[in-house]
Amino acid sequence: MASLSGPPARPPFWNLSAWRAMYPGMWAWVIQRLSAVVLLVIFPFHVLNPYNKWLRIAVLALVILHGMHGLKVIFTDFGFPARHQRKLLWVLTALGAAAFFWLAYLRKAFWGFF
Amino acid sequence: MVGGGVIFRVRRGGEAGDPQERYQTYAITPRPRMTVLDVLTSIQSEQDASLVFRYSCRVGMCGTCALRVNGRPRWACRTLITELGESVTLEPLANFPIIRDLAVDMTPFSDGLKRVRAWAEPTEAAASAPARIPPSSRERVRIDPHIECITCGICYSACSMLGHDPAFLGPAALNRAYTLVCDSRDAASAERLAEVSGEQGIWRCHSQFNCTEACPKGISPATAIQGLKRQAAASGAKSFVSSIIGGRAPGA
Repeated sequence: MASLSGPPARPPFWNLSAWRAMYPGMWAWVIQRLSAVVLLVIFPFHVLNPYNKWLRIAVLALVILHGMHGLKVIFTDFGFPARHQRKLLWVLTALGAAAFFWLAYLRKAFWGFF
Repeated sequence: MVGGGVIFRVRRGGEAGDPQERYQTYAITPRPRMTVLDVLTSIQSEQDASLVFRYSCRVGMCGTCALRVNGRPRWACRTLITELGESVTLEPLANFPIIRDLAVDMTPFSDGLKRVRAWAEPTEAAASAPARIPPSSRERVRIDPHIECITCGICYSACSMLGHDPAFLGPAALNRAYTLVCDSRDAASAERLAEVSGEQGIWRCHSQFNCTEACPKGISPATAIQGLKRQAAASGAKSFVSSIIGGRAPGA
């Protein structure tokens, strides 16, 4: 029973079974990290080709998504009670969706989209 | 429903990686208000006496029967099978060494409590006379939502960071440390804050809030960890400024 003598060895980071129960707060965390990775990939293309409307709308959506989740992290770090983090997540998601609608649709002439 | 029953897939075998590790299937005919713990005792008495699991109080007071139901850590005794559907998977808590079947070794969990010195170390004044601390005081308002922990290990199982780093102190130990660090009667707060401020303490937490979502007592260990982070940052900033003013190298 070697495993009883101490904590098990650290699994490699790609070991997906180390991820535990996926509650909404965890999804928010995963989405924020993934949106950052996707932004890193597409942002250079946006810089090279700034008038591509698909890239513009994707950057807008991802920046809002990443920023909203970032605000959630900042709020909980600076005193927002974590037991209400799920409500905070939904409020910020609604604000982010409204911001996206306002910027992408109501100012569609600017984005050249739709 | 298969023949009016519910299918339970139960993880069997010794420690993780045991060649005997397998999922065994049991069909159960539900009774009214039947809990997962009722299912386990019924399997053990009627179908398979070799099934290993742990329980004690049966009424949600002790936390001994914690296990994973369909992937999520819960108390067997407080989980009605009517909530679960027709096929239910039962596994031992994650992040713990498995002893056999559904029973885990709680040693890493209690080691975390020891590392944060989870006992009160009173100041001289608090040891000699009762302290007067009104329930409305700032410290009680901070501490009270965090004192109901029954050390069941559910937060420890729900935490992804523990899955990646078994040396992490974990939510329950940090929650307990927070209640002591905030307590004016405690004399060891500085040492405790130093212990939890390491790489395997509060800064390992990535604010995924799984512990808060999973805790059956409604405690938010993540709130406690955020509180400890603020206190650790404040005390670090204070020592940084005082070292600059005193003409010393930062941290010296």
